[in-house]
Parts: sequence; C-alpha cells; structure tokens
Amino acid sequence: MNPLDGVRADRRRFLELTGLGALAIAGSGVLAGCGDAKTGGGPGTTDKGQLGKILPAYVPATALTPDIPGVVGANGFTSTPVFLKYPASPVTTVTGVPGKGGSYTTMTPLWGSIPSSKGNSYYETVNAALGADLKMQPADGVNYEKILPPLFAGNKLPDWMMIPSWNMGNLGFADAVNKFADLGPYLSGDAIKAYPNLAAIPTAAWQSCIWNGKLFGLPTFYSGATAGGALFFRKDIFEKEGINPDSIKSPADLEGIAKQLTDPKAGQWAFGDFFDYMAHVFHYPGDPYRWSVDSSGKVVNRYEMPEYLEALNWFAKQAKAGYVHPDALAGKKEEGKQRFWSGKEVITGDGTGSWTGADEESGRAANPAYVKAAFKLLANDGKPAMPMNPAASMYSFLNGKLSADQIKECLSIANYLAAPYGSTEWLTVNFGKQGLDYTIKDGNPQLTEKGSKEVAQTYQFLVTPITPVPVNPGHEQVAKDYAAWEADMVKYATKPSFYGMNITEPAQYANLNQPMVDVSQDVRYGRKPISAFQDALATWRSSGGNELRKFYEDVKNKYGTGQ
Amino acid sequence: MTALHEAPPTASARPSRAEARTLKKADRRRRFLRDRALVVMTLPAIALVLVFNYAPMFGTATAFQTYSIYAGFWHSPWSGLDTFRRLFGDPLFWSAFENTLTLSLVQLVLFFPVPILLAILLNSVLSTKVRTFVQSVVYLPHFFSWVLAITIFQQMLGGAGALNQFLRSHDLGTWDIMTNPDTFKLLVTAQVVWKEAGWGIIVFLAALAAIDQQLFEAAAVDGAGRWRRLWHITLPGIRGIVVLMLVLQLGNVLTVGFEQMLIQRLAVGRDASEVLDTYAYYYGVVNANFSIGAAASLFKGLLSLILILTANKVAHLFGEDGLYRR
Repeated sequence: MNPLDGVRADRRRFLELTGLGALAIAGSGVLAGCGDAKTGGGPGTTDKGQLGKILPAYVPATALTPDIPGVVGANGFTSTPVFLKYPASPVTTVTGVPGKGGSYTTMTPLWGSIPSSKGNSYYETVNAALGADLKMQPADGVNYEKILPPLFAGNKLPDWMMIPSWNMGNLGFADAVNKFADLGPYLSGDAIKAYPNLAAIPTAAWQSCIWNGKLFGLPTFYSGATAGGALFFRKDIFEKEGINPDSIKSPADLEGIAKQLTDPKAGQWAFGDFFDYMAHVFHYPGDPYRWSVDSSGKVVNRYEMPEYLEALNWFAKQAKAGYVHPDALAGKKEEGKQRFWSGKEVITGDGTGSWTGADEESGRAANPAYVKAAFKLLANDGKPAMPMNPAASMYSFLNGKLSADQIKECLSIANYLAAPYGSTEWLTVNFGKQGLDYTIKDGNPQLTEKGSKEVAQTYQFLVTPITPVPVNPGHEQVAKDYAAWEADMVKYATKPSFYGMNITEPAQYANLNQPMVDVSQDVRYGRKPISAFQDALATWRSSGGNELRKFYEDVKNKYGTGQ
Repeated sequence: MTALHEAPPTASARPSRAEARTLKKADRRRRFLRDRALVVMTLPAIALVLVFNYAPMFGTATAFQTYSIYAGFWHSPWSGLDTFRRLFGDPLFWSAFENTLTLSLVQLVLFFPVPILLAILLNSVLSTKVRTFVQSVVYLPHFFSWVLAITIFQQMLGGAGALNQFLRSHDLGTWDIMTNPDTFKLLVTAQVVWKEAGWGIIVFLAALAAIDQQLFEAAAVDGAGRWRRLWHITLPGIRGIVVLMLVLQLGNVLTVGFEQMLIQRLAVGRDASEVLDTYAYYYGVVNANFSIGAAASLFKGLLSLILILTANKVAHLFGEDGLYRR
C-alpha cells in the first residue's frame, strides 16, 4: 500500500470539515491543466574547448621566495607556500598610481564588526594609494545571502561587489551573472599581461570565475590546492594516552581508539560530529559536489552510492556506542570549536582555514596544553584520496553598466590589490599606513589600537594575491605543521567529477535535497534505521532525482566533467 | 415604512427606522467631535497597521505566481493554483501540518491553564515582598531569547548537562531528554511554560485585582471556605478574560514557536520538529521557492482566521464578550 494514501484521505476529510471541500474539488479540475513550473536559464557551465579560449595566461610571480615553498602534488595541485616572517625589504610591484580618480561603490561581506567609514584613515590611505575613491560598504557576512536577492530584484547593484559561491544557490546564478561585466575582452589570453599581478593568479582560480562561457569574476582567497576540510585531533591528549596518530589510517582504526578516548564521567568524548568531513575517507563526493560519474560512466548522486551508505552506517554505529559528544548529537554545531578547545571532544572535523595561530590562542585559553593536529588522509580501503574543491569560492564582479574605461580603471586597481605577500602594496592594502594603523614588530606588521578599530577585510574581498599560510607571531609551529600536512595531502589530490564547472541546477529541483539532508541526519544520529534512508531515496528518485540526473548527463555530454 | 407609522402608540416610543438612522448619524457625529483627540491619537497606530500588516498582504500574490526575484511581482508569470496543488501534494507539508496541530493541542491543554493557576496562587499570597519577588523571578525568562533558553535547557538537561553528569557520577544511568523525538512535544511545552508562563500571568492578575473584595468578605461571613470562594467568586470573576485569551490563543494555534523548532531541528530531526512555519522557511525561503512559502503561509493565515472567528462565535453563544462586544 502506498503510505501516502492515508495522508491524502486525511487531507480530503480535513478540507471537508473546514468547508473547503468545494474548493478542493473545484481546484482539482482547474489544476489538472497546469504544467509544472519551470524557469529559464541554462546550466551556466562551459566546456573545455571554450575554456581554453577564455582563460587568461599564467605568469607566476618570482620576486619573492617563501620560507617553505609550495610542493607540487598529483594532478597539478600545489600546496600553499609559507612565509614565517614578513620579508624584511618588501618589493614594489606597481609603478605609479593605478586609478584615474574614478569613484566606485562596492559591497563585500564582513564576518566581524563593521568599522566606521567616516574619517576612516585606513580607507583614506588605501584609496589615496589606489588613486580612486572606492566607497567601501561591508555588509554582515552571516546575513549576506538574505541581502543579495533584493539587490538583484531591485536592480540596485553596486559597481563592484563580492559574492561567495555558497550564497549563489538561491540567486539562479546562471541568470544573475549576466548583470555583470564580461572581463574576457580585457583579461583573456595574453591581454592579462597588462596587469602582471593579476597574471600571477593561477589558472585554476580563473577557471572557477567562468559562467555561461564568459569570464565574469575576480577570484579572492584561493589557493593551489583547496581541500574540503580535514579531521583534526588533540595531539596533547593523544600523547597522554600514548596513541600514535600515524597508526590511524582508516575509519576502523578510529573506531579502535574511540573507547579509550571516551570518558563521559570526566566529560570527555572521542568524537564530534565530523560526518561532513568524511566524504574523502569513504570516497563519495562531498560538498560542494553532489554528483559523480562512476567507473561505468553513469551519473550518480552521492546518496545513491554504497560508499555513502557505508559512511552513514559507520557514523550511526559510533553515535549508538556513545562515542560522540551528546551536544554534537543535539546539533549544537556552533559550539563545536569550544568543545574541541576545552577537550570535551578529542577528534573533530573542520575547514583547513581554521588551523591557525589564532585557533591555538583560543585553544590555549581553554586548556594550556592544547595542541591541534590533523590526521594524514584516512581511507576505508587503504587508498587515500582528496578531491579538490574549486580553487576559489569567493569572487568579485564588476557591474555590467560600467563603461570600458571604467572597467580598465577597476582592473588597474585590482592589479594593485593583487600585489603579492611581501610587497609594499600588500602592506598598504592589508594594514594601511605604517606608524598610524600598524607598526612592524619582530619583523611582522601589527595593527595599532587605531588600526584594529579601522582595518577590516574589505579590499581583500575584491581580489587577492595567492594567499600564503597565515603566520601569527609566536605560533610559527602551527604554520609549519599545516604546511607539512598539506605537502603530504597534495600527493593524493584528485579532480572530482564536474570539478570547477560552476553548474547552476534548474530552480524546480531546489527542494529535492532538503528531505535527504534531514533523513541522513536522522540515520547518522541513530534516530532512524538505514531503511528510512532508502525509502527517502526512492521518493527522491521519483520526485525529481532521476530528472536531475538527466540534467547532469546532458551537462556531461555537452560540457564534459571538468577533468 | 407606512406600516411603522401605523404602529400602536405604545411602540411609538421607539424611533422609526429612518429616525433611528438620523439619530445614529447625529450620535456618531457627536461622538466623533467629542472623541476627536482620541481618534487623532490612534492615527499613527492605524498607519503602522496599514504599512506593516496590510501592505505586505499584496505579497501573497506570489502564491499564485511562479515568482522569480528577477522578474518581481509585476512581471512574474501567473500560475493559478498550481503552487497550491504542489503544496497539497507534498506529504512533508501534511506532516508539518499534523505536527503543528498536535503541538498546539498539547500546548493548549498543558500550557494554557498554567498562568491562570499561577496567578490565582500568587494572588493568594499576602506578603507583597514575597509576591513581587516571585513575580520578578517568573517574569525574567520571558526576556531571554530562544537561543539562550534552549542553551540553558541543554546545559541542564542535555546528554552532557548537569543532570546527566550527576546521574553518571552516581552510576544511575542517563536520561535522554533533549534528543528524544518521542517526547519532543512535551519538552517544547515545558520550555514554553518555563519561558512564558510568568509573563502570561500579568493579564490574569489584573483580572483578579478587578474582582470586588466585598464579595469575598461577604462569602466568608456566610461561611464559604477557600474552595467555595474560588469556585463561586474567583473563577467566575475572571471568566471573561480567560475566554478572551482562549479565543486569541486559538487564532494563534498554527503558530508554534518558529525559532524554538529551528534551533532544535538537528537535535530531534525533521519528523518531530517540522511545523508549518519551518516548512515555509526551508522549502520557501532557504531554497528561494518563494511561491511555495507564500502559499503555505496563506493557507495558514486563512485557517487561523476561520479558527478565530469560530472561537469568537462560540464565545458569544456562551454569553461572553469574546474579542469584541456584540
């Protein structure tokens, strides 16, 4: 029997009870004639041949040598270089003033308190150096995705704005992006050589800025190898327990030490909720990818893969065994860092961007013994692999209403903003004026009290040079550990299916994913059996999943899979 | 009309319908002139209601469109009742609807009487010091946000909270309160009681204060005990307010704590925590399917209106004032 039959009967009864029966019956006749709502717009992606014509040339910067250079790994991915100290004699990469006195409105997200723009000497310093008036208008990063749709709807876009990839979902970006300027005529191929600092941006980062066969974006905060995250552990606790982290190579090994690391009476649990960071361990596509092409060439969703089921089962087993912190199982994700810092969770998952000196400072404040480390890549089958995220996931765009001269001025400004770490321009863009906003202490720039009130990440969200591993004075070891982990990780870097293709799914499938997210949570927290997941999957397939597969098959046939 | 003029002289004391109309008109004019200062004072409030309550109602047009943010209200294509067909065809919507109704019912039975009981209890405390103190303590949680309230619950009753750590340290096993979907409705109600019951007593305390004290004294002289006085004086004295609050509550039956559900969704899962408001949020706002969100909200608004009018009618049938005097 169809489980939905009962629901429908209830519904009819309910409508009759409330006097809406007539409406239900009249409505069904009218409705039968209507088709499903579909919205226009293509998949937004671009095939490889087209890419070759659009992508700018790559001329790496050679003026500076990092203390720990990047390591070239598999598939052309490179680990991030490390400067342990700011170079003593910064180089100058831009001659003259880039701007021509133009005035531009901007909008960038900011995750932090927004500084006053009135009499802000940092903005004044940078604008003077740029020779243009960039009106910086940072907006709350947490609510950024709610600010964007009205801006597009009202056609009130600023001249230059940043949009992170995770805020594009509800914009129908393949349509939205047409409001911005096509930068191809100015940057494609050798044209970019007019802007040497932009030419030093690696090709993979440019690739993630292309929609509908056109180069629209300027990448910010990209790297040569972006992992979706890592599994972290408390090195100090491992040492105390006498566990050698290098002996942990698989989920089974993790399970093997869980009991030893769990002591509820002392308020310590082995695991946090790191399920979202397990995709590479079980080899199914993790976010932002959901689709993959299997060995037989068939397009499959992650939810259909036996690997995903295996991961769900594994995590549910740990949850049921009581190895996962109860607050993590209560969905208190936002307190996860605090639990890890204070040692309530010994093993957790997080983005690699969280492995910083600032994190160590917070951790030491909670527990003076705090040392964070990441496992070398685990794998359930002994074959470690790390699918790479798109090189950049934040991009800035120039308004399509700008004239060619204005676009050229903005690109010259971008060339200044993209000056590499170790240049005088980088110091100005990131720290403002020496003596006023920052001073040099032990070889590193440090914000003054005035600077810490005025300097915020704003210009950096318009475009950046390749980002080195950040080093906080006094925490050099963190940067060294991170560099060593990444150098090992890039050996196993892979290009997942649909890598860096900027695909926009048709809007009518937007609601397909939520029930799967919900049920997979239920199963891995041990609230529902695996059969509930399989039931939901069947519904997913019939209510649009198979149609969406067809969409991805078309993308694959027409545009390839980004390999 | 002529029939009225031929009416017997006894009835002529009552004005004719035409006369009544002119009288009423004059009366209305007189009343307006008398109350004009008060009328002017209400204008800002009326403007607020128009701007923030009535103007946004045009947004419900999206429920009948295939709404796209790029096209806006004016250019999005009309889709008739298609959105509603999709909405009513979605079993997840009906499970959210069912959750909303059961949760409302549970809260009506378990939450609604609590402020009344508390108010009567407090009213019987003679020491003003004790009364003010207790009142302040029970008011306080109302001013906490739901995030804070639920964090406090998690810290106290959660799997690693004070209670369970105490049970653990005495080897008494643990008690799963915060992540048990089966008892979630009771948990949610308990949270509402903790947070809002104190605030809810204000209106009942005012009603209690309005009861003539002489009635109690007279009853006491006649030998009525504590319970008799409660039954025959206190409860009838606040009946009107209780009915009014109940009618208002029924209008809100389909609004059961959006934030509370959103925050605890991961803890107990979708099945237990999805209500109409969170459904509209996840399937309407988060995924930019604004038409579906608008349709779900419109459906909810319509039902609420029907409920509140029905409840009001019932109140009138029982001779109470309800929302307004007839």
